[in-house]
Order: sequence, then structure tokens, then C-alpha cells
Amino acid sequence: MKLKNKKLSKNKKSGNPLPADQSKRLLLKSLGSAGIFFLGLSSKKAGAFSLKASPVKTNVLRPPGAVPEDIFPSKCIRCGRCVEVCPYKAIRPLDIRSGVYAGTPLVFVEEIPCYLCMKCVEVCPTGTLRPINQDETRMGLAVIDKHACVTWSQELALCRTCYNVCPFKEKAIKLDELRPVIIDKYCTGCGLCVHGCQVTQKNGKKAINVEPIYAFRTVKW
Amino acid sequence: MGLSRREFIKRTAALTAASYVGMNLPFSNEESAHAADADTWHKGTCRLCGSGCRLELGVKNGKAVALRGIPESRTNKGYLCMKGMLFYKLMGDNHPERLKKPLYRAKKDQPFKEISWDEALDIAAKEFAKAVKKYGNDSVAYYGSGQALTEETYIFQKVMRGGLQTNNVEGNPRLCMASAVGGYITSFGADEPIGSYTNFERASCFFIIGSNTAEAHPVLFRRIMRRKLDNKDTVKVINADPRVSPTSRIADLHLQFEPGTDLALLNAMAYVILEERLYDEDFITNYAVFRMGKEKKQVDFNQYKAFVKDYSPEKVAKICGGNITPEKIKKAARWFAKSEGTMSIWTMGINQRKRGVWANNLIHNLHILTGQLCKPGADSFSLTGQPNACGGVREGGGLCHILPAHRLVKKDKLRHEVEKLWGIPEGRIPPKPGYHTVAMFEAVNQGKIKAIWINCTSPAQSLPNCDKYRKGMKREDVFMVVTDIFPTKTTELANLILPTAFIFEKTGVYGCTERRSQLTVKAVDAPGEAKPEVWIVREWALRLAKELNDPVIKKCVEPFLGKEPDYALPKAIWDEYTQKLTKGRDNDLRGATYEVLEQLPDGVQWPAPTKEWALKGGTDIKFVRGLDPLADKHAKNDLPYQFYGPAHPDKKLWIWLRPQKGPEEMPDSEYPFYLSTGRIIDHWHTSSMTGRIVELMRANPYAYVEINPKDAEKLGIKPGDMVEVVSRRGRNVLPAKVYVGPCEGMVFVYWHDQDEERMINRVTKDAFDPGSKEPEFKICACRIKKVSGPKPLKPFLVQMKA
Repeated sequence: MKLKNKKLSKNKKSGNPLPADQSKRLLLKSLGSAGIFFLGLSSKKAGAFSLKASPVKTNVLRPPGAVPEDIFPSKCIRCGRCVEVCPYKAIRPLDIRSGVYAGTPLVFVEEIPCYLCMKCVEVCPTGTLRPINQDETRMGLAVIDKHACVTWSQELALCRTCYNVCPFKEKAIKLDELRPVIIDKYCTGCGLCVHGCQVTQKNGKKAINVEPIYAFRTVKW
Repeated sequence: MGLSRREFIKRTAALTAASYVGMNLPFSNEESAHAADADTWHKGTCRLCGSGCRLELGVKNGKAVALRGIPESRTNKGYLCMKGMLFYKLMGDNHPERLKKPLYRAKKDQPFKEISWDEALDIAAKEFAKAVKKYGNDSVAYYGSGQALTEETYIFQKVMRGGLQTNNVEGNPRLCMASAVGGYITSFGADEPIGSYTNFERASCFFIIGSNTAEAHPVLFRRIMRRKLDNKDTVKVINADPRVSPTSRIADLHLQFEPGTDLALLNAMAYVILEERLYDEDFITNYAVFRMGKEKKQVDFNQYKAFVKDYSPEKVAKICGGNITPEKIKKAARWFAKSEGTMSIWTMGINQRKRGVWANNLIHNLHILTGQLCKPGADSFSLTGQPNACGGVREGGGLCHILPAHRLVKKDKLRHEVEKLWGIPEGRIPPKPGYHTVAMFEAVNQGKIKAIWINCTSPAQSLPNCDKYRKGMKREDVFMVVTDIFPTKTTELANLILPTAFIFEKTGVYGCTERRSQLTVKAVDAPGEAKPEVWIVREWALRLAKELNDPVIKKCVEPFLGKEPDYALPKAIWDEYTQKLTKGRDNDLRGATYEVLEQLPDGVQWPAPTKEWALKGGTDIKFVRGLDPLADKHAKNDLPYQFYGPAHPDKKLWIWLRPQKGPEEMPDSEYPFYLSTGRIIDHWHTSSMTGRIVELMRANPYAYVEINPKDAEKLGIKPGDMVEVVSRRGRNVLPAKVYVGPCEGMVFVYWHDQDEERMINRVTKDAFDPGSKEPEFKICACRIKKVSGPKPLKPFLVQMKA
């Protein structure tokens, strides 16, 4: 963040003709290409690289109350209690191939979503899953892909499964003229909508997906 | 932007088509190219609910590949729900679980064996003939469906009545709209709604009672919602329901009464209308009379006023409980009476009641009192749950007391008329109505019925208190034939299973809620040896004629001999029904020939006596001179409305004095909760079809019980806990959903699940309305208890054991 600010202010001072947001775009572009380059590299020696990369991604989430990914692997003692207690068998431990993340719990919401029974947060001995309430859960944020969602992309289709299955109907998800809209303030990221969604795209994603936007917050020590 | 809505739709068509091809495909040009490849598109009607959505089936290389709505259709305007978009996955060879060969077992504990059609039809004919010879004509029965095509119901009942001489012809519409029929006939003198869906766009007040339209009729709900959203301040929506449902979301006023107090609520609204002089005096003098009691005694306005005096809003608010206050009742009554056009909408919440007919009458009362009928936007409109309950069963003679085209069995003149039209000897059809649904399965229980043919429905799951009736169906001395496309709870109890063709695999007409008949022509082949029912009945009847040595049975199917079963046969049946039987009746369909129906994007609303009238779409509003050809024909005076309904000799609307009546079973200390049941958007009825569509099953893999948070807290029930729902009749164990849906003291369960533990009709009560004989599914007493914490559950569907 610091870096970006610096660059922007510099632009202004030197009278750079590029508007601020364009230079931001440039920066993002260069970052993007660097990322792609990096990806290319990493695919060559994937094994070594993924040992340190967090396994958390779209629709692959930590159980409720999880601390940020920064400190998750160091705080979690891999006791497996959350895995054991989950009545829906939604929580799965990672195996050895996941490097430093081996043994930590994950929820693959597309396969089995989290029903927010909150049993796992009660049994976690270390506070890696903090003891929170159902409505305080933030496993991620559901995002509707409006190009894939039949109700959004098609003029004449009526589907609202995501709305029907949401445990916080009318709070976390509303219908705007019969089309679903997520209210980020209340969405718990439990993934029930992802599981229920009737559209599966070729890349395996649904028309509504939970993005783990809270998992990568930086931790202030 | 110079882009009209239509153009926009056209432009997005390619994109849209992409996902029509299959929900599993992402959006890309590649897929839209795919969709254009669908070789042909075939017009038809949706197989599922009673809305009558028109759609097109895309066929590629003889295989069903997609469904899309028809924008020109006057029912759905092109919109479809997910069920309607996906049911092509059940057609032809698309689904591996389809029944493909006749299956037989002599004893019900044996495994099924595949047999040929010849053998199967011989067995069916022999068993029915045996029962008739040994135990008499009333020992055989037909139990049909509001999902069978009109042609199918018609030919079945013709063979049963004219051929086998029994009125044991029933159908599952008895479970869903018999009370609406009773209501329409007793109040208006003629069955089926006066107006049509066009009123959705003209009404300025919607009174939705006992209907979760948003889930049960999502495509119609869109039209209501559109009307409301476009006129936020001028259009009012009143929702009366003991449960807060997705329909309540658009309501300006939600009347949450305790289950079973609806009749009091409706009478209280009438009280307010009289008290505040909101009634239409001219309308009442011109068109209405007041009646009461079984003997239909005529009373005057003052007596009616005195009767309603008993239902002051203050008193009724106490009876109704829930969130009802006298002010809310008054507000609802004022909106109802004062609006430019008020449309009442109801389904099973009103019909499936111990006094369902009375509840229907009381809604009609409000409309007659305020003159909210026949004018634009004003209607008393019962929605139907099944695609052909109106067209096939109500009009086609599919219930034990009615003959085709709204004729009563017990009326000698009408019965003889039918016998004459069929060319069979007078007196062939017995004058006594047959068993109604509950009585029919009671007779099966008692062994009075020895052979029963169940077509296109699953009573083993859909009857209330179904365990009681499954006992009878399990009896070894009851021979059961089941015609269906998938294994169901009922095929499990059958002796003979006959595989039938699905919609688009055969030709025929469905008649939806708004009196509209719509044709679907065959587009794909049925899988394996599955056959259209019309062929099955014809061949079976020929064999019956031989077995019983009765030429009259043959006479019943004679006009249909030699016709090929995919088009010519149903056409011949439809022609006989419409041209001969509906001639001169209130549902005159003579104009709605196959040729006319094929020309229209949707269909024809009866009365449609001529082709010219039918080509215009038929009659939008009944009883209005100038709009309804029969109103002009039957006109007795100069009044603009002519209520010519056949059931009211005085040609008047009847306002009924109907008192409040609670449910058959009230909660008590042992069973302290009300139990109500209903549908969820993704599944339809017993889920034998929708459960087999992966996408829909995934969205709602099993039923659950909805519990009010306050009750859940008292009982220590958390979301997801496994909860036992027990009544005097049976027990279910379901996961709990703690949700401000049902009111306090009430639980709500979805009834689609086929799992024995979650099949709620094992718990419901089989009390029925003495008028309509429709069971009271919606209310019984139960108790609930947490049995365990959350458990992973698996969806369940009946499979055919090899």
C-alpha cells in the first residue's frame, strides 16, 4: 500500500500526463504479468512452491472463526478435533502434500458446505478457530458471476436457489426483482449457495462462489 | 438507447441459447454455436405445475437437448423456472432410470420380471375381468392424475364407465382442487375461474390467501411481482398465511393467523365491508342471492347481515391469534373493497381444509359483495397445482361424480346424453357416483376393490396418513397396475408396471388454471418399449371385451381402432371429446381442434364454440356479454353480465352463510403443535421427476422441518438438529430449520421427500371435507422433539430392484 501511494504522489508531482487511476492500472498490469511469469516458474517446480502457498482459494475455505492465513499454520496444532466433531463431514484435514499446511482443516463448500452448526469453534483448543457466533462467521464472501447465473444473464429464467438455501435469507441475500443480490455485510461465506447453485461452469466454478476475502488480511503483531 | 426490449432479447438469444443447451456449460461462443445446432424446436407445455407455461423443446439427432420459453405465450411470456428448464433431462434416453419394459410379478413379495406388452395387457385384462365376474363391477377402479393428458383421462373413464360399468374413476385432483370445484359450483354455478392471468396486469389489489405462489407458481408470481413493483403505491398486496413465506415478501400487509381460523377471518372481512357500507348494492341486487345450509335455503340481505354480526374484527382478532389485530382486518377489507380491481389468489392452504368448500365460498362472497368480478383486474382466482387437473380431470370427467364436460353422474338426463353420444345402450353408466379418493383406498384396505389401475401418480406417498392406505395396497388379493415413467413409492406395491411415454414423447392436450387448453405434439421417441397411455387403454379394452364377452366395451374404443398412437389416436379422442361431448356445454371446445391449437403459440381458453373465436385465443373473461360468446347466447335480460352456469337454475351468484369451523384435529397437551405441509420451489410433488434432475436434487436434497425460533429455543433445538415429528398416525425424523416462517406453535414440513423417515404424509391426517371429499393435509396436531445433533443425510429416491 505504501509503495502504491508513493508512486501515485510522485506521478502527481512530476506532472505525469497519466491520470492517477491509469497509472494504478499500469502498476496492476505489471504486477499481473509478473504474477504470470511467477506462475510459469512455479508450475515447473510446483511441488516445492505449493509447500508454502496457502491452500485457501475460491470455494476452498477455512472453518468458521479461522484466524488469517498468515498465522493459521503456526497457530493450528493439527489436533483434528474440528474434523472429528463436524456432523456433516464438511471439514477435511489436508495431507502431507500440502507442506506446512498439512493437517490443517479445510471446507470444500462446493462438495459439502458449512451448515454453521458452530461445533468446530467450540472444540478448537488453540483459538485458531475463534469461538464466535453463527452470524459472525466470515469464511468468505459469496460473489455472483452475473454472466454465468441464469437469472442474471438470461432474460427469461427464474432461479433463486441461492436465495432459498441461504440461512440468512433477506439479510445476507436479497432478491432485486427476483434476481439475487449479496449483502456483503451479512454474508457468512458458509457456501450453502455454492453447493445448491444449479450452474456448474467448465472450470468447475458455480455461478455463485465464495471468495476467501477475509483469509488474507495482514496480521498486526 | 434505441434498443427495444424485444431487440435486446433477440440479441442476447445466442448467449441465452448457450445455457439452454445444458446448465453445465459456461458462457462462451463455442456453446452458443452448439445451441444453434439443435436441429428443431417443438412447441409444447411444461410438464410440471398448473401455470401452463409454454416452451419449446430443442431436439438434436432425435435427442432432447434443451428447453426454452416461448415469449409470445400468454401464460408465461417466455419465462421459465428451473424445473421447466431442466426436465428435458428426463426425456427419451436422457435418463437411465426410465422404465422401459412392462414388469410383472404375481405376488407382491416377488421380484419383478420383464414381460412383453402382449403378456402384460393380457394379464391386466384377465385380472380386471376376473374381479368383475367374481365381485361385480364396483370391485375395479381407476385412479388417475391431473398430469395425465386430457385424451388419456377421457379414454380411461370412457372404458371404465361405458365399458366396465363403474363410476370408480378418481384422480389425485381430489387431493388438490376438489374444494375449489365445490366452491366455484356452489358460489358461481360453474366450475373454473371467471377471469384469467390477464388480470395480473390489471388488478390493483391482490389478496393471496393459502398460497405460496412464489414457490409453487414462480412464473405467475413474477407477473404479480412485476405489477406490484411497477405500481408500488397504487397496487396493494395482502398475504394471509399462518406462515411467512417467500410470497409474503412483496406483501404490504401480512395477516398471520393461527391455522384453521381462516373462515372467521374471511367472515370478519365481510363484516367490515357491510359495516362500512363498502359493498356494491347494484351488483348484489342484480346478480346475487343469499343462501344457507345443506338445503340451500334462500335468505335475505338482513339475515346475512345478522349472521355476519357474529364476526366483528375485535372478536375475530382474538380467534385468529397470530399477528392479527382488528385494524389489520379492517385495512385488508378496505383495500379489498375499494380497489379498482381486486384479485384473490389461493391454492392448497384453502382447498386442503376440513371445510375447504366453505373457505372457497367465503372468498367468493367478498367478491360478490363488493362487485369485484368480471371487470378488469377483478377475479376470484384459484390456482391449480397440476398441469392438467382443470383440463383433463375437471373437464374430462376424471372424478367419481362427474362425466365429461361438467356433467354430474347423478343427473339422469346428462348421463343418458353421454351414453347416447358414445353410442352405448342407455343405462350403461351406473347412476351412483363411485368412491372418492379416500373412500377408494379405504375400500382397497377392506378388500372391496380387487383390481385397481393407478396412472401417472403415486398415492403411496401423496395420500394423507399414507401408511394406513399402503397396507391395503400391499394386500395380495388386490391386483395393482401402475403406469408411470419412473419407479415410485407406488410401483413398489404394484403387480404390474407399465412404462409410459413422457410429455413430448406422445401427443395430447393439457388444460391449465385459466381454462386454457394447450397442445404438445410428439417430438422425441420414448425410451425402450414405453408406450402412450391412449394406446395402452385401447389395447387393454379390446382384450377386456374378449374376456368379458361384452361388445359394448369394444364399442367404447371402436372410433379409435387402427389409428397410430403418436398423433392420429389422441387426435381422434380429442375430436370425439370436443366435438361431441363439449358441444353446448359451458366448456365448449369445438373451436379448439388440433389444427387450431397447433397454429397458436399458446392455446385456447374455453368457451370456444367456433374456430374463429378459438383462433383469437378464446374467452378471456367468462359471463361478460361481448367478451364471452356463451353469455350472449344465454342472455335472458339486458344486464352486462350473464351468469349462465349450469349448476344454478336461477342464474345468480350465491352468497353463502358459512360459519367458522376449526380443523378436525386441534393441538392438545399431548400433541401441542400444528403441522402443515407444502412445496419447495425446486421439487414438484413426490419428486419422482425433479428428484432425478441432478441440479434440482442438489439444491434441495432432502426435506426438513421449519420451526419458529421461539419454539426452537424452548425445546433446545438448534439449526440442523435431527427432530422427531410425531402424530397419532406416524413419525418422521428430519433436520430442523429454525426460521421465522411458521407462526409460534406451528411446524412446517416439505412433502417431496421419498425417504421413509422424511415422508411427511405418514404423519398427516386423512380427515376430509364432507362437501368436496378433499383431505385436510394442511392441518393436524403433532409433537416435536430433538433426537440428535446434526447428521449428514443422503437424498433418497426409489430405485427399481433388478
